Amino acid sequence: MANVDIATIRDEWVGRVFQELDLVVDRERMLDWAISCGETDPRFVDPDHPDFQASTAFPTHINVARMLPDDFPQIGTGGIDGGKSIEWQRPMRAGDRLHAEVQIADIYAKTGRSGTMVFIVNRMTFTDADGAPVATVDWRMIRQG
Amino acid sequence: MRIEDVELGDELPEERPDVSLETVRRFVKAAEMDFPRFTDHEAARAEGLPGAVIPGIMSQGQLAAMIHRWAPGCSILSLDTIFRTSMIVGTPVVCRGAVTDIDDDGIVEIDVTIISETSGATGVLGTARVRLT
Repeated sequence: MANVDIATIRDEWVGRVFQELDLVVDRERMLDWAISCGETDPRFVDPDHPDFQASTAFPTHINVARMLPDDFPQIGTGGIDGGKSIEWQRPMRAGDRLHAEVQIADIYAKTGRSGTMVFIVNRMTFTDADGAPVATVDWRMIRQG
Repeated sequence: MRIEDVELGDELPEERPDVSLETVRRFVKAAEMDFPRFTDHEAARAEGLPGAVIPGIMSQGQLAAMIHRWAPGCSILSLDTIFRTSMIVGTPVVCRGAVTDIDDDGIVEIDVTIISETSGATGVLGTARVRLT
């Protein structure tokens, strides 16, 4: 896959918000998530704790209907979950009403022994009812070039 | 755990999280990703996988739990993980972490991994930034 193709697609698509979502953070889901991941800190597993909050990776599961824009060009083949990162600005709490925006944060290629892999970074940004940032989740999707 | 108590290179106590089918089922329901590839070995093999696989984001959650136990009351500011190899449900794994940086603001950087105890393969690796109390 020629670098120029990636560069062109990158210039056109990176930073464009293509989906939005409103959600309410569910207490039971938070609790089941934390317990099944092995959390024992009361902040994550005791709903009556005054600082009860979602465990670190909780927002990574929140999906939207589309991982890529409808008219996003076909890049490479297959699809591998290359990993996720989360960055927190403040704790996510049960009952929080959040707004999420999804955009393509980056597109880049790496070439190794197994050929060229294209990385597409899908970014979901969560804000609260006042518009203040809560968390950002990046999901790296890998495609064979 | 206070910042004064931490030294570069400190290793977190190893953890062996519960990766039983029952626990993975509870997780995937909470995560709204209740797919057979995570909960049914035969269905996963039919997809070409070696067996039902532990969701990568569950592994991420297990690493966070390890850090929270090491430093009660800490805040994980960020956690970046790479999913390298599928970890199989019911096959023992071990979580490890080591402090790789300490800054003056009470924030430490920790390299984390999850390794299959059966194959020795690294399933997940990553880095966390953690504010200590």
